[in-house]
Amino acid sequence: MSNVLLSPQEERIGKNKGKVKLFGREQRIYDSFQNSKSVVDVQRAKYFTESFKETEGQALSLRWAKALYNIAEKIDVVIDDDQLIVGRGGKAGKYGIIYPELDGCFLRQFVKQASSRVESPFEIDEEDIKVIENEIAPYWEGKTYYEDFAHAMPKDVLKITYDPKDLFSSRFILNESSSMRSALQWVHDYKKGIDLGFEAIKSEAKTALENLDEFDPKDTVDKAEFYESIIIVSDAIILWAKRHGDEAKRLAEIESSQKRKQELLEIARICYKVPAKPAETFHEALQAQWFIQMFSRLEQKTGATISNGRMDQYLYPYYEKDLKEGRITPEKAKELFRCVWLAMAQYQDLFVSPAGVKFHEGYAHWEAVTIGGVDEDGYDATNDLSYLLLEDKREFPLNYPDLAARVHAGSPERFLKEIAITIKDGSGFPKLINDEEIIPILVSKGADFASANDYAVSGCTEVRMPNLDTFTTPCPFINLAAILELTLYNGRMAKYGDELLTIETGDVTTFKSYEDLENAFVAQERYLLKQALRQQFVANRTRPKHFASPLGSSLHKLCMKAGKDLHSEKIDGGFDAGFFDFIGFGTVADSLAAIKKCVYEDETISWSDLLQALKDNFEGAEPIRQRLLNAPKYGNDDKYVDSIAKRIDKEAVSFVNQYAKNIGIYMDLRYVSQSVNVPFGTVVGATPNGRFAGTALSDGSSASQGADEHGPTAVLLSNYRTKNTNYNNRAARLLNIKLTPASVAGDIGTKKLVQFIKSWRDLKLWHLQFNIINKETLLDAKAHPENYRSLLVRVAGYSAYFVELSPNLQDDVVNRTAHDEIA
Amino acid sequence: MNETKGLIFNIQRFSVHDGPGIRTVVFEKGCPLRCKWCANPESQIPSPQLAWTKNKCIGCGECSRSNLKCSPYFSEDELYWDNLDDEDAAAIDKVCPSKALHVIGYETTVSEVIKQIDRDSIFYGDEEGGLTISGGEPLMQPKFTYQLLREAKKNGINTAIETTGFGTTADFIKIAGKLDYLLMDIKTLDDNMHRKVTGVSNEVILDNFNTISRAYPDLPIQVRTPVIPGVNDTEEAIGSIADFIRCKNNVRYELLKYHRLGESKYASLHRMYPMGDVELSEDTFRRLKQFEFNNISSQLEDEGWQKGLGI
Repeated sequence: MSNVLLSPQEERIGKNKGKVKLFGREQRIYDSFQNSKSVVDVQRAKYFTESFKETEGQALSLRWAKALYNIAEKIDVVIDDDQLIVGRGGKAGKYGIIYPELDGCFLRQFVKQASSRVESPFEIDEEDIKVIENEIAPYWEGKTYYEDFAHAMPKDVLKITYDPKDLFSSRFILNESSSMRSALQWVHDYKKGIDLGFEAIKSEAKTALENLDEFDPKDTVDKAEFYESIIIVSDAIILWAKRHGDEAKRLAEIESSQKRKQELLEIARICYKVPAKPAETFHEALQAQWFIQMFSRLEQKTGATISNGRMDQYLYPYYEKDLKEGRITPEKAKELFRCVWLAMAQYQDLFVSPAGVKFHEGYAHWEAVTIGGVDEDGYDATNDLSYLLLEDKREFPLNYPDLAARVHAGSPERFLKEIAITIKDGSGFPKLINDEEIIPILVSKGADFASANDYAVSGCTEVRMPNLDTFTTPCPFINLAAILELTLYNGRMAKYGDELLTIETGDVTTFKSYEDLENAFVAQERYLLKQALRQQFVANRTRPKHFASPLGSSLHKLCMKAGKDLHSEKIDGGFDAGFFDFIGFGTVADSLAAIKKCVYEDETISWSDLLQALKDNFEGAEPIRQRLLNAPKYGNDDKYVDSIAKRIDKEAVSFVNQYAKNIGIYMDLRYVSQSVNVPFGTVVGATPNGRFAGTALSDGSSASQGADEHGPTAVLLSNYRTKNTNYNNRAARLLNIKLTPASVAGDIGTKKLVQFIKSWRDLKLWHLQFNIINKETLLDAKAHPENYRSLLVRVAGYSAYFVELSPNLQDDVVNRTAHDEIA
Repeated sequence: MNETKGLIFNIQRFSVHDGPGIRTVVFEKGCPLRCKWCANPESQIPSPQLAWTKNKCIGCGECSRSNLKCSPYFSEDELYWDNLDDEDAAAIDKVCPSKALHVIGYETTVSEVIKQIDRDSIFYGDEEGGLTISGGEPLMQPKFTYQLLREAKKNGINTAIETTGFGTTADFIKIAGKLDYLLMDIKTLDDNMHRKVTGVSNEVILDNFNTISRAYPDLPIQVRTPVIPGVNDTEEAIGSIADFIRCKNNVRYELLKYHRLGESKYASLHRMYPMGDVELSEDTFRRLKQFEFNNISSQLEDEGWQKGLGI
């Protein structure tokens, strides 16, 4: 590695032999869980189910609130040694929790395989297995969302979603994700919970209850039940906090260290106060936020795990006041933040279904913390806390939380510079989200400017306006590379034999021109889009029958006004932003371009030779593969292939522009693969871009692995030139760019990185994240995982520890081109 | 329309080591020097040429079965060929599936290159990044180089060249008038050594340096010396360069460490690597860098230089 500069992160790893180096309290908390295996905690599922057995037949929002109360009353209250922020969803160490209402039908299978599965294994104790097998699974079987949804799906949609003979097995052509989580990624209006507290929210519900029209049955039944659920859930979270106060007090009494005793007494005081009453200090505000966030995790599983919202905004008044009154220092504030991050890191996003776990490798969750951006009035919102959170990310080498910086035309130079320095540190944080793209898109879809300006990053690339957005159903994922194969084999796929999966669009070998092929592809694409919308239509109808969110509703203005649960299909004034995902954009654009070039223009490969080579996975056909590999590739600012990619995009956005409104929500095109490009790749044979059968597809809107040979500026330009900005039916586009430390070294390198970020902003691209690392490091990490346990790597939208990824995904990361610059 | 043609072999985007900011580097083909350590040997001959990258070759034999007039053939695992003509150059792209056998160098026009620059210009920022012409030797195609720079300047693009300084003084003066930034090598002041390792005398180069720095006192000049073992890896060699540039305005100095990254390119051109196995030790380079800093960079008056660059 003599020719490449190491990033500070790599240097740290070298010095500490893979151990994260922290100090004092932080190190002790970290050590307490880092070497533990991830365990399943059944308490949430147990008490949730226990309550549900007793409330059969009642309104769903009431049942949910009562179940939460049961959990709040009975779940073990555990306070970690040294912690200053309290509230866990399960036992000590790294833990995951179960949501049987979602996919409980997989539980019996799960408990047998949990500890041995390749991706994200979990330990589970014998006693808990018994609880699952005797108390939880039997109740939910036949009642889960998953089963209801699978049975409601039209047969021709089911055929490309699950194996009709085995409903528990995914086909990875058109995947649903609505059974993996009950709603898309979400951000609460934490400000309301912190500033007002749940006693006030309870009064709000009581007043609403009193003001109902006593003669209107809609009011006295539906709405009354809703407001009662708000009262119960307020009591539940207050009770849960109070139990933490009791436990802290008990611990204080037996604590021998005077210092810790004082800390515990302070914790007790705070837990008795928030989130019941308004917070008054930074510590109280942060504790209130964490209680809300943790209780939300106990309530339900939203996409990506509940996000943190604009922490630099809603916490700033408390920070500023504490600073002024001498109650806090920046160092103390960082320590409190780190207590939150360390608590967050112990939570492991547990997926029970086999498809769920393949979609989310590496225990990842994205509780995005948003910093920067504009305020409601549209002026720059950057403040001291924005900088403090960046500084914290540089100093504190943990991959939680996911830090997202909003960038806009008026972002201060200092902010951009500190972002660049932080990115260079090597962990890839913060990811960047572009106000210049997102705010106009939100407004064009009907948001008011103030709400749009105040959006928070949510999940890996998406955004939410916490009082305007509504819950939307988790999205379908469409395998673009499967669409290509369906085109090549006339509606069939090599893996699924002679079964006609979609429609027949003709024998490709008879196509006279490339346009015939592209049109056949588009016909298959439209067929998949049609089925995706039908699938989503069914999911939308099914979801409100299975889920309620009294806690989420209590923090939402529209829900509280309408007396409707956040899971309702339609809420007056709500902004219903859903999306669907395309996987393998680069793979497919490259494949079509290669056929155009080699088969139709250069005539260097015949259709029959090409199809044979694909069937043989290029065995004995290396010259053909080489020609395909050397055809134009997406990600190089090459119009030849970018124009093809743009048409694929256009067909989709124009399709949903016409038809999605009939579902009642936006269904916009998103390119965010998470780790879905890996399982989707396993069902697709060799592709005409030279990719071998079964290997990963391209991720997000990034170039195919290793295909971007002209550097990151060309990647951005290709991304820019494949958008159809005359439609507003677009959602996030995830864009990963890997840079070696050498290309951005020193102050001059920082300036270049800032300039690059500004250009990205001016091109109005949605999202950008960097991976500053080199290939040798990754290869060495793969060979010697023991030395790289703390190596963070960006994988499609989130950070994960490299050594926790499966070998397949490790290869995927390694193969993405590193834009090295050695001079 | 601008139809002056130039011969180039690459346009490299997102260059971050060839002048300030993010730049697009146009590599012209053709160089009068034959530096033994040259990392771009494919840039030397001023005409298109064939190259064969062995580790890309899959041995399919399509080239030897083709109708190419240069008739490539394998002998003991190596590919050989005759002279390349224009017809072959056009056809070769379709012959070799893996592009192991490929043509280096193609003709382009000022307007073609400007189109590329326009696309990249969003990355240049207000004043920093821009176009760098490298090579080869930009002074060897003075008309093309000048017109390209003039056109870029007209469009408000920041301009730079990377040059050996070997060209006619008149051309250099004209070209330097269109520059925001000059990157120039001074390899050694020892003329005997210079002749021996580059094939030309350094007299023209040093004269040109003096002329340009006098004619354009506001032009920031980055002088660079590749530190080559056995050529200039001593305090004396570096010190004499320091003495030579010390009194000039707007000059900055930089030592570049010898690397062997060009070695595999020689093989693809069927050439021996002239440097053999020589390496520059990390210690020597570090020592010379410290020496350089103490004797040159720490003393150079470069406020104007910084101003000129907007740093």
